[in-house]
Amino acid sequence: MLELLLLIPVLTALVCLLLRDRRKVEWASSLGSVALLAASLLASYDVVTNGAKDEGTLYMDGLSAFMLMLVAIVSLATSLYSVGYMGRELQEGRFGAKRISYYYALLHAFVMTMVLVCLSDNLGVMWIAIEATTLASAFLVSFYNSESSLEAAWKYVIICSVGITLALLGTILLYASSIQQLGEGGGSLEWSSLLAMAGQLDPTLLRISFILVLVGYGTKVGLAPMHTWLPDAHSQAPTPISALLSGVLLNCAMYAILRYHMISSTSLGPGFSGGLLVLFGVLSMAIAAAFIILAKDFKRLLAYSSIEHMGVIALGFGIGGPLGIIGGLLQMLNHALTKSALFFGAGQVYARTKTRTIEEIRGLSKTMPITSTLWFAGFLAIVGCPPFGIFVSELVILMAGLQAGELLVISLYLVLLAIIFAVVLLRASRMVFGHPPKEQGRREGDLSAILLIVALLAGVLVLGLYLPQGLNDMLEGIARLFPGGG
Amino acid sequence: MAELDVNLIDGLAALVLLTAFLIVATGRMRTLVRVFALQSLALGLLAAAVAYSTGYWHIYIVAALTILLKALVIPRIIDRVMDRIQVANDVEPSVRTPSSLLIAGGLAILAYYVAEPLIQSGETITAGALALSLAVVLIGLFVMISRKKAITQVIGLLVMENGLFMAALSLSYGMPLIVELGVFFDIMVAVLIMGVFVFRINRTFDTLDTSFLRRLRD
Repeated sequence: MLELLLLIPVLTALVCLLLRDRRKVEWASSLGSVALLAASLLASYDVVTNGAKDEGTLYMDGLSAFMLMLVAIVSLATSLYSVGYMGRELQEGRFGAKRISYYYALLHAFVMTMVLVCLSDNLGVMWIAIEATTLASAFLVSFYNSESSLEAAWKYVIICSVGITLALLGTILLYASSIQQLGEGGGSLEWSSLLAMAGQLDPTLLRISFILVLVGYGTKVGLAPMHTWLPDAHSQAPTPISALLSGVLLNCAMYAILRYHMISSTSLGPGFSGGLLVLFGVLSMAIAAAFIILAKDFKRLLAYSSIEHMGVIALGFGIGGPLGIIGGLLQMLNHALTKSALFFGAGQVYARTKTRTIEEIRGLSKTMPITSTLWFAGFLAIVGCPPFGIFVSELVILMAGLQAGELLVISLYLVLLAIIFAVVLLRASRMVFGHPPKEQGRREGDLSAILLIVALLAGVLVLGLYLPQGLNDMLEGIARLFPGGG
Repeated sequence: MAELDVNLIDGLAALVLLTAFLIVATGRMRTLVRVFALQSLALGLLAAAVAYSTGYWHIYIVAALTILLKALVIPRIIDRVMDRIQVANDVEPSVRTPSSLLIAGGLAILAYYVAEPLIQSGETITAGALALSLAVVLIGLFVMISRKKAITQVIGLLVMENGLFMAALSLSYGMPLIVELGVFFDIMVAVLIMGVFVFRINRTFDTLDTSFLRRLRD
């Protein structure tokens, strides 16, 4: 059953590669994504009602189910959005007609690697899958083959490969500490068994291992100061890919860190790994705030905002407790939906204005009223305005921090959120309001894009107003998987 | 186990570190690739020696793959890339060679101090090689940072990975076979992808000097 979840994107990628007709490729890609979402829903429902599934190398519990749903939802939105967006880019001649098949094949290969990250039980296989996400998405980042996209892709591959090399060293150390306990042959890299025997693992090895993994996978998450690849890759990739990178890839890498965090905090107590997560979380928020002030390009602004949100998520899990963990999970979901909607909007704005420089854009409310209203609503959501979901998840993390008595951390958290709130809204209103620089007629974005943005924002709005019972049960179930989350 | 095995293993591990120093010292691209191949060969033989003295058959597979891929195939790919784009033979370090060697020496000492507590708790016959492998990882990282050409950055990454393999061997006699195979696969794909990027960087910027990659900034 779990293999099926991997098989669907693989088959979709192969079909996309073989088909030559653009319309057929788009249908194959969309249907493949719908099938993946349906299969993920079924598998997740099964896991939530009947408990975790262990199928050797593959393993699925509530947390994997949650991540899988994120991947499936955002990748469906992305492949639907790609139809209109990449179709237009093709007509404008930004790339050759033959390459559209490669685009969709790589997109689904990329999705497959992320699904594997969520489902692997073996920490070594998880490492392989995370490295594979970089490799599968490298050519997507450099898809336009321009000077700047090539630069972004080179940095992306090199920086993430180095980071991930450190994570492999951390994984090796963890394996070494499990071998010391169980002896050669009995030693294990399966995190479910490592978690079960966490109490017996060598604390020194475990500490060094967690630091290496946090720095290594943290590079991929975009935690500061290892984030330098992120704004380049996010701004140079085709816009649908930016949404996928920001919405789910970062979360997948965070998921890997969480698995180590669970093992480490079971063995060493929550203080060590949690403390490090809080430290990197606050640092990421601070650096993101500084660069949001400096950012001149709206896609880079969105990229820095992703760094900020990854910081908030790390902070939530680092503080821990049921509130911190549920807040972190909700933040992952809300951020994935909102950021995808924002990138989709950004793509429509770029298609209209042909610039990404914030200074050069004025008066979108006159030239594309509906699209820009939705885009502005997305900005309101991302900075945490009520009644959108991010307000709730950030509030839950705030309460977790107060409950844990982390007053210094919480005051920094509030100050940084306030700075980012002000700056992002200032930039957004600059672009949306005022008079357009030259007289332009009214022309909205694509209808399909507008519908997708509405759907994503409606999701965030619902999450801000009330938490469906099913989701609530699922989140509480996941929190119980963490030590101290019950 | 025999005293001879331990000496052989430690000797080969020392050879891997020595080649890492040679990679820092050399000023010619062609030599750099040859030295990397030599390092991989030493690593493969080290794995074979570990396999022989412990009797774990899966380590033989790892040893064979290391020699095949990292000592033969990957150096051949890099040579091909260099032929096709006619890369100049100078390494062009941004830190000069004597200072580079000093820094590499410093990193080796640092690695020894970091590894000390881990060696205490290790029980494998190869635990002594851990400090050497950490040193190789750090020197590989240093090569990546301090050399300008895209190809030297790739070699630095491969050196780091060699260090990691030695660390895995010395701590736990390598990892489960499926993981080792996956890691090899990823490394192969990564080298191929980086090779393609090296071509494109060369074609687009008319140079391999990555210090030209400075356009994207805030």
